Amino acid sequence: MTESVIGVARARVDAPDKVTGATRFAADGHVHGLLHARLVLSPEAHALIQRVERNAALAMPGVVAVLTADDLPLTGAGSDRTTEPLARTEVVFAGQPVALVVAENEAAAEDAVEAVVVQYEPLPAVVDVEDAMLPGRALARVVEEEAGGGDMESIHAGVDNGQEDGDEEQLSDNVLDTVHRSSGDATALLETSDVVVSGTFRTPWVYQAYIEPQVATAWLEPNETLVVSTSTQGSFVTQRELARAFGLPLERIRVVAEPLGGAFGGKLALMEPLAAGAALALRRPVRVVLTRAEDFQATNPASAQVTHLKLGARKDGTLTALTARMIVDRGSNAGWGVEGITTLLVAGPYRWKAHDIRGYGVQTNRFTFGAYRGPGAPTAAFALETLLDELAAELEVDPLELRLQNAVVEADVGVSGNPFPRMGAVEVLERIREHPLWKTRASLPADEGVGVAAGYWPGGTEPAAAVCRVNQDGTMTVVTSAVDMSGVNTGFAAIAAETFGLSPDQIRVVAADTATGPYSGASAGSKVTYTVGAAVLKAAEAAREKLLKAASEELEIAPADLEVVDGAVRAVGSPDHSITVAEISAKALRFGGRYEPIEGHGGSAQTRGAPSVAAHLAHVRVDQETGEVTLLAHVIAQDVGRALNPALVEGQMRGGVAQGIGWALFEELVHDESGQLLTSSFLDYAIPLADRVPDIDTLIVEVPAPDGPFGAKGIGEAPVIAAAPAIANAVAAAVGIRLRELPMTAPRVWAALEDAQA
Amino acid sequence: MPSSRTVGLVVNGESRSLDVEPRTLLVHALRDGLGLTGAHIGCDTSQCGACTVLVDGRAVKSCTMLAVQAEDVEVTTIEGFAPDGVQHPIQRAFVEQHGLQCGFCTPGMILTASDLLSREPDPDDATIRRALKGNFCRCTGYQSIVDSVRTAAAALREGDAA
Repeated sequence: MTESVIGVARARVDAPDKVTGATRFAADGHVHGLLHARLVLSPEAHALIQRVERNAALAMPGVVAVLTADDLPLTGAGSDRTTEPLARTEVVFAGQPVALVVAENEAAAEDAVEAVVVQYEPLPAVVDVEDAMLPGRALARVVEEEAGGGDMESIHAGVDNGQEDGDEEQLSDNVLDTVHRSSGDATALLETSDVVVSGTFRTPWVYQAYIEPQVATAWLEPNETLVVSTSTQGSFVTQRELARAFGLPLERIRVVAEPLGGAFGGKLALMEPLAAGAALALRRPVRVVLTRAEDFQATNPASAQVTHLKLGARKDGTLTALTARMIVDRGSNAGWGVEGITTLLVAGPYRWKAHDIRGYGVQTNRFTFGAYRGPGAPTAAFALETLLDELAAELEVDPLELRLQNAVVEADVGVSGNPFPRMGAVEVLERIREHPLWKTRASLPADEGVGVAAGYWPGGTEPAAAVCRVNQDGTMTVVTSAVDMSGVNTGFAAIAAETFGLSPDQIRVVAADTATGPYSGASAGSKVTYTVGAAVLKAAEAAREKLLKAASEELEIAPADLEVVDGAVRAVGSPDHSITVAEISAKALRFGGRYEPIEGHGGSAQTRGAPSVAAHLAHVRVDQETGEVTLLAHVIAQDVGRALNPALVEGQMRGGVAQGIGWALFEELVHDESGQLLTSSFLDYAIPLADRVPDIDTLIVEVPAPDGPFGAKGIGEAPVIAAAPAIANAVAAAVGIRLRELPMTAPRVWAALEDAQA
Repeated sequence: MPSSRTVGLVVNGESRSLDVEPRTLLVHALRDGLGLTGAHIGCDTSQCGACTVLVDGRAVKSCTMLAVQAEDVEVTTIEGFAPDGVQHPIQRAFVEQHGLQCGFCTPGMILTASDLLSREPDPDDATIRRALKGNFCRCTGYQSIVDSVRTAAAALREGDAA
């Protein structure tokens, strides 16, 4: 046998096109007769729309139309951003799209936006999420509309909301959803615990900051098929959402997911309804490309969150109980929120004897909440992992050992009520315990410190299918409808190569659209490699069976006695008796050919998630004069199941950590008290740049997922989750202060240092 | 609408003539006028660097220049960076060192690296990171990009033909 290709670093299959500018992203394609749309955004955070004056704009050169909600052929199936992409009667956040200006070119559309005058009747803006929950408070949405979020929640997390109970708590109608998870008498157990710590933690709205702004292009084919070419995480879900919004049969909508210029959770059915609505209304191709300022204001960043958390432990370090009250700011999103998943993940990868966790999804007049890498997880981990460190300090035990002592193992029951599958929580903690950074942390210079934290992501599932087709030249084409957000196509090539018996160089992976491809869900929830990858494996096996059947006839050797090596089928133990894959395929793919085409179809329907867990070490220096935190080094150990391609796995780990550094130190969308966004450009909103991200040491831990292809599991979300608390714990180790709010900007750290001195 | 005028540009070694409004940014002229869509638009404030091109060999964010300002200079975009269809050592290094994920920032990264390496053939990591801080990447955490630039520098110093 030749050497396995699984576990071997290999260049991405999309790299050659991406380094030469050959990749066409969604804003790049040429479409004949294309019109360009620009958004008219609400300057009011909360108001009724009185009138849209469009004549001045329509009179400008190049302007084709000014469209409002009433001009789009929507069915009114809901009140979410997909089914109501333009505000109809009420605006519920500053930056909400109110109208579309469509023109022959982008400049003309942009000029004309200024000429559209919208008259508003302002309403009180609800911006304080905790205050908004109180009975009698002003509502963030006053016009009664039917809520309906499609299946967006299940795309990302697919967790239930715990038990329903008859709560007596008095809440305003801004509270759209409550979650309650409990087991045992947590309050009583805390009262009898030897040590109890508590705190209230705040995290801001955080922006996905994909470098490619949101974009979609739509047109009608002569046969009335609506074609949507878009930057999206999922083609089939977008097709479904558009069918719901416009009341069209699925077969009349073809969604083409173009190469994705970053998304991280934020690109799902937000732009497509605008482009499609305009194209349907005007019967011309329309492209909506957001400017960065529009993207900051009008899209769907991660929720701000307030977490009240209390933990207890016994003197021997055994964790006892936790109680939590978690308030999630959904902004205008009536369809779904992260209160379901954040109340699950606040327990972390640890055993608790009792818990009482409440979550609240609250509407305000800020943005529309959307998913961002590990939705609801970094916020929960910041609170939990900070308090675990405080608990360790109170107990005078090593914070890493405290975590290890309480880390879940297989069959431990989590706060979901379900047992954990095999997950390497112990393994990743043991791995970082051996790292030199941890071992030498006591001998650091003044104002430096090392912090530890851990977090896990449950992992998503969704049925998926794939096709493996052998071409006449003996190469293979793998067809899926998965959007390649993280390098999954390169993984598919390795899976197919290993399974079938070709070199990865002989495999091409193509992403099909909704008209042509096998089913795949959205690239979200860390599930693509786990589910679509498993389908590719089965498809390659099916193709291999056909190959062996044909080869068996050609060589007159039973299939069981054949093997596929380096693109040829040969007799086991007698390699001279062989025939190449290309020869067999050529005999099949021709007029009068003898064999079925060497193609396989495979599907998967995983019923168990494959959680991935990561532990971090952060090494910081704090400038006591300015409060500036410098991250000097970062270590992450992650259970990835099986690293199909270690280079790409490390890329996911580092990318996740870098985004966690953003949560920790830089990123914060800020509104003023009237709901105006103060951070609508990269001048005001800082993401980590090349000189602020240190080298990140990646330690791959492999605890195979039973149902994953070659043991692989989804790995994209886990690495972001506990990066920020590791940095926060490092700040505490360095200078003895504990921040309760992210990001830990220099002014906040400086103020905390001043407070500590006072 | 402002009237258009004709500008003569030299892009990727070819002389091109284009009708543009005087306000047209170079990036729009390249993308919409010449179909050179490897210059990506990632922001409106000249922050992100996704539209970086070479102007007389120096990295320039093509949203910071008007098309009419590009009349007497040589513009190189990612499409023309390796004209013979053979990857430039910097491109090769980005492939081999996994210096990209989504790829949206990649052309700008490569062209910025080209500018750096033409001035500093043997930069240390801190120098590379400083040079790249005007090019945003949200996917990689930068380390693999720094590895790519360092690897490319070594290849270029060893006389690997550009």
